[in-house]
Amino acid sequence: MKKGLLLISLLLVFPVTMIGCATTSELEKVEAQQKLIDAKADQALQDAQAAKAAADAAKLKADDATARAENAEKAAMERERIADEKAKKADAAFQKSMKK
Amino acid sequence: MLRILHLSLVSNRLRLIALCVLIMSLQGCAVMKNIQDKFRNVTSHPDKKIEKNDFPAAKGEDVIGRLAVVRLEKGDTLPDIARHFGLGINAISAANPGVDVWVPEAGERIILPLSFILPDAPRKGLVVNLATMRLFHFKGDGTSMVVSTYPVGVGTEERPTPTGQMRVARKATRPTWHVPASIAADHRKKGDILPAEVPPGPKNPLGEYALYLSKSGYLIHGTNKPASIGLQATNGCMRLYPENVKTLFNDTPVNTPVAIVNQPYLIGQRNGVLYMEAHTPLENSDAGELEKMHAKLRTIEKKSAGTLDWKKVKEVQSEARGIPVPILAMRQGSETEAPEPLEVEHPDALYGRPEIPELTLKAWYVLAADVRDEIEARRLAAIINHQGPQIPARVIARDNGFRVLAGPFNDAGEARDAVKRLKYDLDIDGILIDPARKGQASPLPGTAHRTERR
Repeated sequence: MKKGLLLISLLLVFPVTMIGCATTSELEKVEAQQKLIDAKADQALQDAQAAKAAADAAKLKADDATARAENAEKAAMERERIADEKAKKADAAFQKSMKK
Repeated sequence: MLRILHLSLVSNRLRLIALCVLIMSLQGCAVMKNIQDKFRNVTSHPDKKIEKNDFPAAKGEDVIGRLAVVRLEKGDTLPDIARHFGLGINAISAANPGVDVWVPEAGERIILPLSFILPDAPRKGLVVNLATMRLFHFKGDGTSMVVSTYPVGVGTEERPTPTGQMRVARKATRPTWHVPASIAADHRKKGDILPAEVPPGPKNPLGEYALYLSKSGYLIHGTNKPASIGLQATNGCMRLYPENVKTLFNDTPVNTPVAIVNQPYLIGQRNGVLYMEAHTPLENSDAGELEKMHAKLRTIEKKSAGTLDWKKVKEVQSEARGIPVPILAMRQGSETEAPEPLEVEHPDALYGRPEIPELTLKAWYVLAADVRDEIEARRLAAIINHQGPQIPARVIARDNGFRVLAGPFNDAGEARDAVKRLKYDLDIDGILIDPARKGQASPLPGTAHRTERR
């Protein structure tokens, strides 16, 4: 009877022990995976941040280029306006000079 | 015998064939000539010449002349082109909007508005249209009339040319200019003291010929400022290019009637087509002119079978390019397409274009401007060159800009006179540059030398 009980106990303990062992290794595996994912997440975050920074920089550059283009356009228009004004002024002076 | 007969028959046939071949080849030549003629018409080679002053004026026809185009060459200015082709600066500028008067691009095609609608006035003697700044001289009788036309400069807004009927009271060659008190006062304000009289010569603004009108104080005369033709620049007189006033003077007897009108909107017909020509009205123009023209058009439209394109009328009026535009076919089959302008060859030399003498170290110069922009420098040099009498000027390129240099002048007096004129007429502070003496560096731009600001 005792033997039988011991056997049963052994039979019960062994699987439990086995389960315990299995849970520990699983946990380690999960932890390792988590670490890996975490590391990947870090990397992804860094990548994302870098990408965002690059995008921001690109946007800044684009904005800057747009602003510069706008400024250049404005400057060209201003130059044209000044040139037109100068031409008109020169023409007016010429017309005045043609009087007696 | 039979053989002889046969041979003569063969010979006759041969002759007949030869004759046919000859006729066909001649026909071929005629066809080829037609093709060549057509080709010649299609490929338009620029014409060397175009009539610019004298036109036949058929009875019942109101439009004379023909539009033309010329391709600009490097260094051309619109006033030079205008003078060569008998046009005023107003006409060439209006016909070519957007083209720089003084620094146009080489290769640009310029319209020469050498087609005119005759003013609505009796076709007798001289008729001047102030709005178009053009004089028409009608010669001959009603059956075969010839009209000579010249561009004119007219009075300013402050001192306009009077309209009305007058006559040529007297004529004079090499007239003396008696300076009117108002002009003397204007010059005095600028510090320029004019003499009471200016004798004949390059400084006389009347030029070499004058026709005195019956309205006292008003003349048709030449000029020492040819670039002013087509401008409102006189004190009420009408001035012509020197070459035109000479012809007019010789062709116009004393007592010739003179009608002065102000018609910015002209309508007239040619070959059954109604044309309209619009000009920018002068500041003191009668505001009713436009309404008068519209009323005339409505009457014509009612009488004619066609319908007037009022949108086109408005377009012609607002563009005011001074070119006759077909607006209505008065009779069936008339073509309302504008005739193609004649392509004219650029002349080797433009008549009356100011010439610039070579640079010489022995001469005096005046530095008129020191600028960064080449166009600005070229424009200023062109304007100085077109003063009357001419002040020669050129552009000198430097590393960091451009200089406008007036001269060469023979002596200090001439150079100082140029400095004075630049100041009075163009508000330019010129810097006098004296000639290089032996052993001295060149006084020409880029090298420092003694200068004197006037």
